[in-house]
Amino acid sequence: MLKTMMQLAKMQFNQYNIYKSNFYLFTLNRIVEVIVYIFVWQAIYSQTGNAGGFTLSQMVTYYILAIAFSSIATWGINETMAHSIRTGQINKELLNPLTYFQYYFGMNLGELAFAVVIGIATFIICAIFWELALPVSFLNFILCIFIIILGIPITFFIQMIVGTIGFYTNSIWGMQIFRKAVIQIFSGIVAPISLFPLWFQELSKFLPFKELIYTPINIWLGQVDYSEILFVIIKQIIWGAVLYIIAKKFFNHAIKNITTNGG
Amino acid sequence: MQKVIYNISLYLSFLKISLKEILIYRIDCIVGIFSQLIVQLVSLVFMFVVFQNTENIAGWNFQQILLLFGITRISIGISGYCFDGLYDIGPKYIKSGEFDKILLRPVHPLISIIGNSREFVSIADFILGLVLTIVMLVQLAIPVTILLIIKILFFSIVGALIIGAINTIFSISSFWTYRSNEVIWSFYRMYTFTEYPITIYNKFIRILITIILPFAFVAYYPTMAYLGLNTYIIYLSPVVAVVLWFVAVKLWNLALNKYRSTGN
Repeated sequence: MLKTMMQLAKMQFNQYNIYKSNFYLFTLNRIVEVIVYIFVWQAIYSQTGNAGGFTLSQMVTYYILAIAFSSIATWGINETMAHSIRTGQINKELLNPLTYFQYYFGMNLGELAFAVVIGIATFIICAIFWELALPVSFLNFILCIFIIILGIPITFFIQMIVGTIGFYTNSIWGMQIFRKAVIQIFSGIVAPISLFPLWFQELSKFLPFKELIYTPINIWLGQVDYSEILFVIIKQIIWGAVLYIIAKKFFNHAIKNITTNGG
Repeated sequence: MQKVIYNISLYLSFLKISLKEILIYRIDCIVGIFSQLIVQLVSLVFMFVVFQNTENIAGWNFQQILLLFGITRISIGISGYCFDGLYDIGPKYIKSGEFDKILLRPVHPLISIIGNSREFVSIADFILGLVLTIVMLVQLAIPVTILLIIKILFFSIVGALIIGAINTIFSISSFWTYRSNEVIWSFYRMYTFTEYPITIYNKFIRILITIILPFAFVAYYPTMAYLGLNTYIIYLSPVVAVVLWFVAVKLWNLALNKYRSTGN
């Protein structure tokens, strides 16, 4: 089963990799996105000598890492799933020897592998132009990566829930954008969570999104205690389990009531 | 000249048909507009956070930045609605071979393609931009005269034309890659640079967005004029738009001659 999933992942990855231009364009896209953020904070720093409680190099590092990680947090198989529901291809996918979740998880991994490649390229190119803070220790680096990996099932199950809505509405295009916007705001891609109003910070403590971007970066910068990291890990596992149950229940309920669009 | 006017009127009638097509799908339209507003929320959230840490950016206060954002959105909305068809050249027309059909029409293919635009979600950009602009003009105590309204309307359309021309130039890549949408999108995204005063950027980026890809003329210089910071450079905008369209059409025709069908 694992082997099949890996094969699916490889297939999905190659689909992106056929066009070499994809790689350059996506990387360019990321860099364009980060430039505005960095220059705005630089301007603020040069005026006030303070970038929201961070030093300038920490802030620059924050945004570059946030953009590098952002594709891992927001990309996914939602589009593919919606397409298969719309065209009726889902008939075939349901008959696969793999379960529907396993099938899409494999595809999702391929997508994320490409996101990782883009993220690394973005990071390297940005490192040429700006001075970046390196991870405070090797252990912190490993923990940072580990927290990001823990986020993968969470974003996947959220996508499955959004995708399942497609059974009822036939179009999840709007929901998709909504999902991305929520992740962008609550994960800290837009700005470090510590700069948001207090009620927002309290709320984000309970949601799993902060751990996709904000917490891993702060671990990288060495601003999180190890005891807190343990708490974060437990929290993410619980969220993963809860979302798995919801996604599975919802999907099983929907699958009984679907009418597919031909085949 | 007559030909240009004929083509423009043809384009407008194409666009009218597209609008009727949109109105068939009401629910999709509403969901799309709502989603587009949420996307804008992300940019606005960043601005709110930034202005909790500072009074102004390069001398621009929060209301002024929001006015700039609003004016930009109006142009983006118009250009998104009118020139969205450019994104389809590669994936929809050339890849599938449908482009050959368009070449057979007695109309310039560019007119057929951009006339087919129907990116209705841009209406959300337009409305948000309009509301923000009006609110900020009032808050900044800028007298709203008829002249100002005409100016904003005129230069927003000019701005949309500038964006359209830049997108047209990059859509040429579709003759080689069939994936024009991503190429256009990557460069088009640079308009976000001009959502902040361009003095915060280094020399390279400033030259990039004023001369190479003159996005600064879309909203930044016009907004400076409305705020009374720089009254003259705004009048360069129409010149930039005309020159860009001239270059875009010439280059497009040149590339068209090199076009080889994908068959089908």
